[in-house]
Amino acid sequence: MDIELTHLLKKYQNRVVVDIEKAVFKSGQICGIIGANGAGKTTLLKMIAGLEPYERGTICYDGKRLADADHRRITYLSQTPYMMQTSVYNNIAYPLKIRGFIKSQIENAVHAILEELQIEPLSDQLATQLSGGESQKVALARALVFNPEVLLLDEPTASIDQSTIKVIESTIAKRNREQSMTVITISHDLDQIERMCKEIFVMERGKNNVYSRGNHSER
Amino acid sequence: MSFITEGFKEALALLLSFDREVYTIIGLSVGLSLTSTLLAAIMGIPFGLYFGLKTFRLKKVLTRLLYTAMSLPPVVVGLLVAILFSRKGPLGSFGLMFTPTAMIIAQVILVTPIIMGIIFNASKEKGRSIYNMGKTLGASRFQVLLLMIAEMRVTILIAIVTGFGRAVSEVGAVMIVGGNIKGHTRVMTTFIAMNNSMGNYGMAIAMGLVLLTISFIVNSILYHFTVGD
Repeated sequence: MDIELTHLLKKYQNRVVVDIEKAVFKSGQICGIIGANGAGKTTLLKMIAGLEPYERGTICYDGKRLADADHRRITYLSQTPYMMQTSVYNNIAYPLKIRGFIKSQIENAVHAILEELQIEPLSDQLATQLSGGESQKVALARALVFNPEVLLLDEPTASIDQSTIKVIESTIAKRNREQSMTVITISHDLDQIERMCKEIFVMERGKNNVYSRGNHSER
Repeated sequence: MSFITEGFKEALALLLSFDREVYTIIGLSVGLSLTSTLLAAIMGIPFGLYFGLKTFRLKKVLTRLLYTAMSLPPVVVGLLVAILFSRKGPLGSFGLMFTPTAMIIAQVILVTPIIMGIIFNASKEKGRSIYNMGKTLGASRFQVLLLMIAEMRVTILIAIVTGFGRAVSEVGAVMIVGGNIKGHTRVMTTFIAMNNSMGNYGMAIAMGLVLLTISFIVNSILYHFTVGD
């Protein structure tokens, strides 16, 4: 279930921020997007997530134009995720509650993901009082708990400690390996991109170039 | 100074005697204010949330108009409603002048911008983050709306309490459109104004104490929820 972008154009007032003729994010792969600040990386991810409208072009998922129903299978994690003013447990349970899961299913799923991300002790804490790294782990747990097919990450490990980065990276890699979850991640950490991604998109002023890992290493 | 002390004594005696007229006035005041606040909230909360989230060309103009409307002079609103509903006015055929309904309409005009403005401001600041979170986790439009209401509950409560405060303490508009008719449109504020002009300080102080007590109770409820949050 590839994500295909065709003739995609996004402007802010009269400034072009994304202008992509053709790009494909392959199903089941971890793809990285790199580029300078203002290159249009975040805007592109938000367009795929359905959070930004665009002037022209199409975004297709599984061969069909992205619709509202598809967005229930795609999730986006921002660099500064919003935490609901309730416990960590309730934050993680939210995507399951709105999907109508029953209490026992929710409990099992939330406890499993808390364990996977090593944040069980945070379960009853107020989510708005967590540190940056803890918030990022909780937000990732919340994004993964409903097993999305596509995970869009906007600098998920910016300004957090190495041990947290390790846990986040290994969790994402495991989901990708075991559930063929497609991942598109933005990062300024080229080492991280190198470790995680099979394919790398370089964006420059809204336009994109695609490099394989080999190409990236040679740059 | 003795007339103030006497006034307080008289006020306490009046309140403790459970005077029928006094309690009718209190009941009407609270009832009208609750009704107008409820109607203003029904209009102000959804529009405030929506306009705060949306980006559109005239948003800056709307913001200025809204903030201006938040400080509408009650007497001007009263005058406007009186002109509309006076016998010769465009809505005169409804026969609403000097009725509680006209007083509610005037209060709704005063309170709606206050509730909408407070919600609009909060929605502009953090509404987009809540909306994005809900949407990217798969929430439907209705579920996102519920999420926004839940996440902004304290702001919504503050807006409602502020709106109620404005409605219950307002005198200018209700005096003009209600006419301060005994047993029909006389409310606490018009009662205080009337008794003050007549030199009946005991009655005026008694009602003033009741108004302060209502304000204290309402703000205590707000404090309970905000601190609890």
